[in-house]
Amino acid sequence: MGGCTHFFGYPITPASEIAQQAAYWFPLAGRHFLQAESEVSVINMLYGASSAGARVMTASSGPGIALMGEGLSYMAGACLPAVVVDMQRSGPGLGNIWPEQSDYNMVVKGGGHGDYRTIVLAPYSAQEMFEMTMKSFEIADRYRMTVFILSDAYIGQMMEQVSIEGIPSESGKKDWAVYADAQSRSNLITSIYMNIEKQSEHNRKLQKTYEKASRELLEFEHVATEDAQVVFVAYGICARICLSAVRSLRRLGLKVGLFRPKTLWPLPEQEIKQFAAAKKTLVVVELSSGMLASDISLYANGATEVLHIGSFGGATPTVTSLVDRIIEHIGDRHA
Amino acid sequence: MNHVEIHRDECKGCAVCVAACPHGCLVIGDTLNLMGYQYVEFVGNDRCTACGLCFTVCPEPGALVVYGMKKV
Repeated sequence: MGGCTHFFGYPITPASEIAQQAAYWFPLAGRHFLQAESEVSVINMLYGASSAGARVMTASSGPGIALMGEGLSYMAGACLPAVVVDMQRSGPGLGNIWPEQSDYNMVVKGGGHGDYRTIVLAPYSAQEMFEMTMKSFEIADRYRMTVFILSDAYIGQMMEQVSIEGIPSESGKKDWAVYADAQSRSNLITSIYMNIEKQSEHNRKLQKTYEKASRELLEFEHVATEDAQVVFVAYGICARICLSAVRSLRRLGLKVGLFRPKTLWPLPEQEIKQFAAAKKTLVVVELSSGMLASDISLYANGATEVLHIGSFGGATPTVTSLVDRIIEHIGDRHA
Repeated sequence: MNHVEIHRDECKGCAVCVAACPHGCLVIGDTLNLMGYQYVEFVGNDRCTACGLCFTVCPEPGALVVYGMKKV
């Protein structure tokens, strides 16, 4: 639906089903699927096909994305569009196949080398997995950047109703790509500029693109935050758990809300600053040691309390535990 | 009796053990585990030889344990 023409995949739980389905459907739709011999090969196939104007995609998990690090940086340097799905699993190392959100630092800050950024979308339902992936190809083409779909093993294994809507999009011929024809003969895809001034200028151009993208792509959701004294901040499976916790806490008469960033890069800085200015307590719930919490604390800049509730190894907080924790915290404040 | 114990919530239903078993003792069941995967089930009470191939090929160490029982 998003106009993807090439899927280069390599299996890794919990993303293998994506490659499996692509292998089945892409040829039927006249598109291309190829299983590479490793993730290093995958990212280089993305580089090549994207250079030739194709809309390219892959899906992997933490260990695979880490292998793609160099290639991601090369693609950023060469301004090549691509869509990469990261179904986060527990780490570090081989870890296990259960959900975590510990790739945040790697994916949101740009896991490869050098000064680059990638756009990061964070779905929290099967419907968003579909919608965000669908629109990510046009976004990738528009800014000539990699768009990450950052999900987790829980969202990945969920079975929910999905409404397949929208107009399938296709990319037209790209004026910067190389098509092995006379018109595109003078185009060059490269990320090397040995001349100091040229490289410096190139980096400034990239930073301008990132600035533009961060202004135009911000997306988030507020749930009951207006009158809330405590606001959960969460994405992916944690946002689902927090949503249930908000409902339970509201039923008990407590003013709690949820702020859900839908883009992790750009991260909604202004919204966090506003919460901080209004002295709302921010409770960041994530399956990691505090990667998102770190950024939220940075934006809050000491103006309000930022708490972190984390877990590892595939464990997720229960709704009950979140409810109890908030009740305890609010109780402490009144004591 | 020789048998295989499966830790259902650690199994991802990849079915490599199903393919590896020389006696057809393992099948992918119809029930979903805690994590949403259809886990493997042991059906070879009468024919398991405790060869351990299933254990060897399982990509998720610990999801599957083989018990070899000596006849007394």
